[in-house]
Amino acid sequence: MNATYIQNSITQLKTEIFMDVRHRTLQKYTGVPVLDENQLFYLLIPFLNGEEWQQEQQEAAVTVGIVYAALTAHDHIKELDATSKEQQLTVLAGDFYSGRYYEILAMSGNVALIRNLSQGIAARCEHQIRVYEASQRTVEQWYTSMSNIESGLIAQFFDLYAFHNYIPLIEKSLLILRLEREWIAYQQGQMSLMGKALEASVQRIGATFTSVIQEKIIQLKTELSQMIGSASFLQSDMKQALRAHVEASIASTNG
Amino acid sequence: MEKMKLKLLYSDLKSDIDIIEQELEQAVDSSSYLINDASLHLLQAGGKRIRPIFVLLGAKFGNYDIEKMKDVAVPLELIHMASLVHDDVIDDSNMRRGRPTVKSQWNNRVAMYTGDFIFARALEYITKLEDPLVHQILARTMVEICNGEVIQIEDKFRLDQGLKDYFRRIKRKTALLISSSCELGAVAAGVDAKTVRHLKRFGYFVGMSFQIIDDVLDIMATDKELGKPAGSDLLQGNITLPILLLKDDPELQPYLVKVFAGTLTELERQNMLQYVRKSHAIEQANRMSDKYLKKALQEIDALPKHPVKKKLRDVALFMGKRKF
Repeated sequence: MNATYIQNSITQLKTEIFMDVRHRTLQKYTGVPVLDENQLFYLLIPFLNGEEWQQEQQEAAVTVGIVYAALTAHDHIKELDATSKEQQLTVLAGDFYSGRYYEILAMSGNVALIRNLSQGIAARCEHQIRVYEASQRTVEQWYTSMSNIESGLIAQFFDLYAFHNYIPLIEKSLLILRLEREWIAYQQGQMSLMGKALEASVQRIGATFTSVIQEKIIQLKTELSQMIGSASFLQSDMKQALRAHVEASIASTNG
Repeated sequence: MEKMKLKLLYSDLKSDIDIIEQELEQAVDSSSYLINDASLHLLQAGGKRIRPIFVLLGAKFGNYDIEKMKDVAVPLELIHMASLVHDDVIDDSNMRRGRPTVKSQWNNRVAMYTGDFIFARALEYITKLEDPLVHQILARTMVEICNGEVIQIEDKFRLDQGLKDYFRRIKRKTALLISSSCELGAVAAGVDAKTVRHLKRFGYFVGMSFQIIDDVLDIMATDKELGKPAGSDLLQGNITLPILLLKDDPELQPYLVKVFAGTLTELERQNMLQYVRKSHAIEQANRMSDKYLKKALQEIDALPKHPVKKKLRDVALFMGKRKF
């Protein structure tokens, strides 16, 4: 397995997702569904590591991707003015993608995954909405929310197909990537609402955002590196691929 | 008065509807107090619970068991509720059923997450049923409803549309979910295929009649009765049947120009409504609704002999003749 093989697998998954949710009008006004290639990479880790991966698992992975696309579409709705045609159709794009993931799984009779993903979506919404709640939350609670938002649905999929070993790996990896994005956005003055909420929690404990987030990223990377090193279920080339991702993110943080 | 009639109509299903109401509250229970507030806000706004009623009535033709039927009835009402929350974002509506909408009480994002949460809970709830057919029917319905909404946005402020466009739109917007409610109740209760087909068609025709009446009431009812400004559909660019029937009327044209330009004054809104109310379009629209209602009643005639047929007829007639 090399970088090209990984990239081709991600591209194939992306293509399948696009094909399953294609809709002329929605695409005209809202573009193709927004997909995070990092999320797709971690979604495919069991496959890339040689786990049993039949048509059922591939279809399941496609639907997880579709759900992420649906929820990401709704993340793009403006708080106060969604009256443009593009915004109105973005609401419907998210609903359409949700309908399609359900339809695909209903057609193949995969009721268990419908249940798991529904639970995952409900939990993700609960975490997303926390930024609008008045109650004060701790830094750790925001990390939990970010982790759930980034990896909760993949974890639901892995849980159903007994890929449990991979869950801590993807949770840590995707949290690192999210925190790095928040860190870059902080430097550019373009933080997400949750990033700002995290910053407020950091300030309440008398610390600085820079030191807290940097320390957390380094801590997570150290833990992840150890986890990869001791994971006997990971093939050596998979370990390499995962390390490459970690190193790339270390380089981007230091750079 | 009308709500009283409705309650009387459902009186022998009251205990089952109470179970569904309780289940609805439990289904939207969340660890987020904001989602709880927004969901309860929606539940307390009431609603006619038409979809659960049709699930229960459809199921009466088979092995009726409320414990199983609630697993169909609750998600259908939740899907309807969630779609209303998202519709209010799309339509920028501040009031629904006389109460502020979720998006106006909080904001669009809160409405999106609340809607997605309720959709998710609906699907989680219906997975208590393992029958793939149930899921296939519901999934297709959800996708079609969404397609209908996309078409509705494309058709907004477009007067170069015909009756076919309108009927295609309301089929997806309303009739499909009512049709699926009847069908799913029957399928879950193990009703035979022929009866399921008639119930499905019955729901479709009732749904069409219901939506036409809804569109007529948007013109005929008062702001107070509607809980929002009369004529809201048109103000949002949705060309409903009465307006479609009058689109070439020279007296209405100046109003339409102002509606589309967003410059209609309050006095002009009142005058426009008065004009449409007195026009032939209302009677014509009512006649079209009656035609669908008649077809619905014919489907009831084709159903096997059962005491619930009278109830179906009463509910259909009420929906086709309602005044709110």
